[in-house]
Amino acid sequence: MDTIIVEGLSFSLPLFIIAIGGIYSEGSGVTNLALEGLLGFGAFFGGLSYALLSRNFAGDPAVLIYASLAFAMIGGGTLALLHALMCIKFKANQVISGVVINMLSVALTAFLANQINASVFGQPSNKFLLEVFPRSTIPLLSQIPVLGAAFTNFYTFELIIIAVALFMAYLLYKTPTGMHIRACGDNPHALAAAGGNVQKVRFWAVITSGALAGLGGMCFAYSISTTFSPNIYMGFGYLAIAAYIFGSWKIGPTFLACILFGFARSAGYVLVQKLSLPSSYGDLVLTLPYIVTLVLLLFFSSSNKPPRALGEVYDQAKR
Amino acid sequence: MNTTSLPKRVFILCCGKGKHQLLRTSLFCIFLSLLAGTLLLLILGKNPLEAYKSILQGAGILAKPRYAGRKSQLTDFMSLLNYTTPMIFAALSVAVALKCGIFNICVSGIMVFSGFMATVLFGYSSLNPLLAKILVVFSGILFGALIGVLIGYLKHRFNMNEVVVAIMLNYIISYVVSFFIQTRYIDPITRQSVAVSQNARLTLFNHPVGNLNMEIPLVFPLALIAVFVIKFVLDKTRFGFELKAVGSNNKASKYAGINVGRAVVFTMIISGALAGLAGVSYYLGSNASIQPRVLPSLGFDAIAVALLGNSSAIGSFFASLLVMIFDCGTTYMSSRLQVLREIAALITSILLLFSAIGIFFRTLADRMQREIEEV
Repeated sequence: MDTIIVEGLSFSLPLFIIAIGGIYSEGSGVTNLALEGLLGFGAFFGGLSYALLSRNFAGDPAVLIYASLAFAMIGGGTLALLHALMCIKFKANQVISGVVINMLSVALTAFLANQINASVFGQPSNKFLLEVFPRSTIPLLSQIPVLGAAFTNFYTFELIIIAVALFMAYLLYKTPTGMHIRACGDNPHALAAAGGNVQKVRFWAVITSGALAGLGGMCFAYSISTTFSPNIYMGFGYLAIAAYIFGSWKIGPTFLACILFGFARSAGYVLVQKLSLPSSYGDLVLTLPYIVTLVLLLFFSSSNKPPRALGEVYDQAKR
Repeated sequence: MNTTSLPKRVFILCCGKGKHQLLRTSLFCIFLSLLAGTLLLLILGKNPLEAYKSILQGAGILAKPRYAGRKSQLTDFMSLLNYTTPMIFAALSVAVALKCGIFNICVSGIMVFSGFMATVLFGYSSLNPLLAKILVVFSGILFGALIGVLIGYLKHRFNMNEVVVAIMLNYIISYVVSFFIQTRYIDPITRQSVAVSQNARLTLFNHPVGNLNMEIPLVFPLALIAVFVIKFVLDKTRFGFELKAVGSNNKASKYAGINVGRAVVFTMIISGALAGLAGVSYYLGSNASIQPRVLPSLGFDAIAVALLGNSSAIGSFFASLLVMIFDCGTTYMSSRLQVLREIAALITSILLLFSAIGIFFRTLADRMQREIEEV
């Protein structure tokens, strides 16, 4: 039981922060299928920064680890800048731009990782090795019977994610900025009439989504393999998309969806282990979140409301 | 007095209004990405001309200085055709759906599904070669169309976003197929599914022709036929007209009396069947086994290839050929110039990046042209 909660949370929370990124971008009206590529590029940038920093500064590894999270956000934001340019400035089809960004991200990280490893670190490899992320336990809370597991032996990045998520939720729902972002997604002309700059708001929303996806991707890199490698592209970005569609583009329900996905995954793995089935049964477990999403969409797609202006290029002349 | 600068005029010539505007824009995008690739190669300190030349040599377009025994330029070219065949089917699949306003991102999933079903049903049987190959092709069409219908029906009946459905299906198919491969059909040495028998394979490998050993893609003619059939259906038939009408404005088409649901479902049947053909020609043709848990990147590349070909049938064919020349030629280039193999994927994705903003180039050129005319 404890393993389910510990492992489930360490999977759910990075997924959640990526999904929030998606909500920001799509909430502002820009379809973001690029999350997969953004999280991978963020993880690449973070991994690269860690490798470079740990070589040049003999500091406390914990500081470097947290610094690499910040660099991952910068990396994700940089690639998102390209998506924003394509969708907003160049008026490309947003879905297609997302797919192209994903492909570019895979190709670019594979190329750069090989090239940098060969020329800077002098070894043929497409990976960056990382440290194990620090874990911690909260003394009193961890004594609570079942729920205590949530406070036991967790990665400290989970705290960072919760803090960032709370801040992003506050920003989106309680401030004028958030109001602008949501207006952009539902009725950009209303925002323009009120004196807002639709393109600027969308631009920053997309970049924010890249930064959040980068953060989530770096956390995945730490928790799943403690390396950056091309294996980061395992479809977590698409899973995050499933999560926020499931959560109807709202942060609260999306959190529940992520928790559900994470726990279904860890519970499935534990079950496979307990019944001592071959590990290939884990594959069937992995389909659960996707099947659940598909079935629920089947019944609730009429009540599932995407932002009204989602995917439309903003055209001032159109009323 | 003419105040327009030369670059502006060249740009308008490339992307402006007039005959073959789409084609000219695509060529302009290809030129830009080759330019970007040139820059990249220069930064790495390599000779770009030499690099592009060896890509063409590796793909069998130009002759290499020397060949290994029983190989020649022709064998390289046949191998290029062999790898291009699934790409043509996949790009057509995406293009047909795009014409109807549907974004088929499920090509990879459909490829895995149809490839797996054909492998299981006929790949390990001891049918006679001709019968086995025909059955493989038909099962590819059938199982591909099955998934296509599912997506089309869910979109039409339940108003579900086809992109989301496709993403979910991709992963469900990938994991379920991986489960069956790992429990039943795994080859313990290669960690892939057991290779299919030669009887069922759609490509003849190391087939002696004269004094050469070459790969003969038996379904390549079928791919060519598919290109022309799709072109005919889109341009000359009533169904093709309805399909394009729905794609450009489904409300207006409904008002005009077109059965939108039927058009969507039938489009997805065709698109699915083509993706299924891509699957069998990939997994039982250019490859012989399925790697568990991996969605073929070809299915995603096909989206961009179709886009580069302006989602027309003929355009998709040439775009597939171009992208696969890069793909096939790179191994030779990277071994000759000591460049990383990953650079091909990088140049390809830059190419796709440019072709995604082709519409921006066209509107920009149109606007410049208008400005000039007003002056």
